[in-house]
Amino acid sequence: MYRLERVRKTFPDAAALDGLTLTVHRGEHVAVIGPSGAGKTTLFRILNLALRPTAGRLLFEGRDVGGLSDAALRRARTRIGTIYQQQHLVGRLRVVHNVLAGNLGRWSTLRALTSLISPRDVDAAAAALAQVGIPDKLHARTDELSGGQQQRVAIARVLVQDPDVILADEPVSSVDPSLAVTLVSLLRDLSAESRKTLLVNLHSVDLALNFFPRVVGIRDGRVRFDLRPQAITPALLEELYAGHADEERQLAQLKDGYDPFGRACRPLFDLGA
Amino acid sequence: MTGGGARVAAVPRPRTAGWLTAAAFVVLLVWSYRGTQIDLGALVGGEAMRQIGGYLAKLFPPDLSAPTLRAAGVGAVETFAISFVGSLLAVLIAFPLALATDRSLLYRGVLYEGRPPAGARRAVRVGVYAGAKAVLNVLRTIPEIVWALLFVFMVGLGPFPGVLALGFHTGGVLGKLFGEVLEDVDPRPLEALQSTGASRLRILLYGVLPQAMPQFVAYALYRWEVNIRAAAIMGLVGAGGLGQRIHFAISLFLERELLTLILAIYVIVTLVDALSAYLRSKLV
Repeated sequence: MYRLERVRKTFPDAAALDGLTLTVHRGEHVAVIGPSGAGKTTLFRILNLALRPTAGRLLFEGRDVGGLSDAALRRARTRIGTIYQQQHLVGRLRVVHNVLAGNLGRWSTLRALTSLISPRDVDAAAAALAQVGIPDKLHARTDELSGGQQQRVAIARVLVQDPDVILADEPVSSVDPSLAVTLVSLLRDLSAESRKTLLVNLHSVDLALNFFPRVVGIRDGRVRFDLRPQAITPALLEELYAGHADEERQLAQLKDGYDPFGRACRPLFDLGA
Repeated sequence: MTGGGARVAAVPRPRTAGWLTAAAFVVLLVWSYRGTQIDLGALVGGEAMRQIGGYLAKLFPPDLSAPTLRAAGVGAVETFAISFVGSLLAVLIAFPLALATDRSLLYRGVLYEGRPPAGARRAVRVGVYAGAKAVLNVLRTIPEIVWALLFVFMVGLGPFPGVLALGFHTGGVLGKLFGEVLEDVDPRPLEALQSTGASRLRILLYGVLPQAMPQFVAYALYRWEVNIRAAAIMGLVGAGGLGQRIHFAISLFLERELLTLILAIYVIVTLVDALSAYLRSKLV
């Protein structure tokens, strides 16, 4: 599905990715973890073709995206659905339009315009909202929804888009722990049902270890480990997060038996034992 | 500690800056007072007061005869029409020009991070941006009354040159204001729409305009309120409406008719203000 070969991405002030190599196969579920500033968001923006690598190659479905024309790039984007951290919906539009925006890569501009006046494909939007558990919000104004409901709308938009890959960039970092579990398992189940590839960038280590069969640790723009959760030791995690106070505290709490997600997750360090 | 003291000394003392600003303001005030030849004596002196009082007395009572009322009514309707059609024309001029000055739709920002336009393509787009900016500046900096004079010479007397004048000047003003609204649009939803494979035109429809439209409407309504006043004086240079009749009334010493016309301006401006406020509360 994806193949990144020594991808570098530099911004005027810093290097975000520094020779990152990664292969993701069709249908895989992958969690990406790492300290803040590790380059995770940059990686996701390269994967959804919003950014172009400064050096190295990105192959999507075997094709080097560096050589794609504008139209081919847009076609490729229709096959990649992205869920952002938050505030990437258009608050003033009604939920139905934000969900139907998943069709924008397919619809003609005329159809897109007339749908704003009289929504097309309302059934598809309603079905997607039912799948994410908020069927009654179809005609609500998006900025009147709670943070968790907005994330469900974002997932519904991706369902309407019906891509081959779902990328979720810290989708649950702004919702409370129990809702985080609900949303991550929703993403996982919906992707499994329709055999979509799923990549999730997670701030919380135990969600990653509990819900994903493959966990990639990133630090300083490079892959530090790429393992099954059973193979990830506390020492590896400490090394990954060394020098980042917030995340180190999170690890320490987990070692003390602190369980922010309640019964939904197994205790983290039972895994290795 | 000594290092801290040195840093404080390096900062300019705010008190000095305050005095300098005050002194500059006084100098500017004295200079413009002399330049504009304000003569308070002429306004409040005995002879002047008698003259002012005499003229005011001639205005009363307002002429409420049928022909004058009809003239005031027709003039008011014409002024209203000039302001309305002129404002509409202004929006039609401002909207495409403002879009042409939105650099995040043309060549930079989140929509171009993946593929920044290069070479001739970029040059054309920067040219579109600079050209639209220049046109807006010309439209805006020439006052509507000067546009009206020009159009009276080009298309003749009447309300039509008034409409064109308001449309051109206000088009420039609204184009600049719309452009500022577009610059403030939150780019994050645009990036999300792009990630669905949407073209830039569809991103404009679903991401940019929904965010910008309420402010577009608010600005357009506000400029309509300004334009009803502007339309009332447009006639002084022959561009129709109440202004043209006021010009005649003053020239022909028809003071009582003049007061009727001024009252008509009061009524129509108040009406448009109320209507605009109502629409704003409904639409924005």
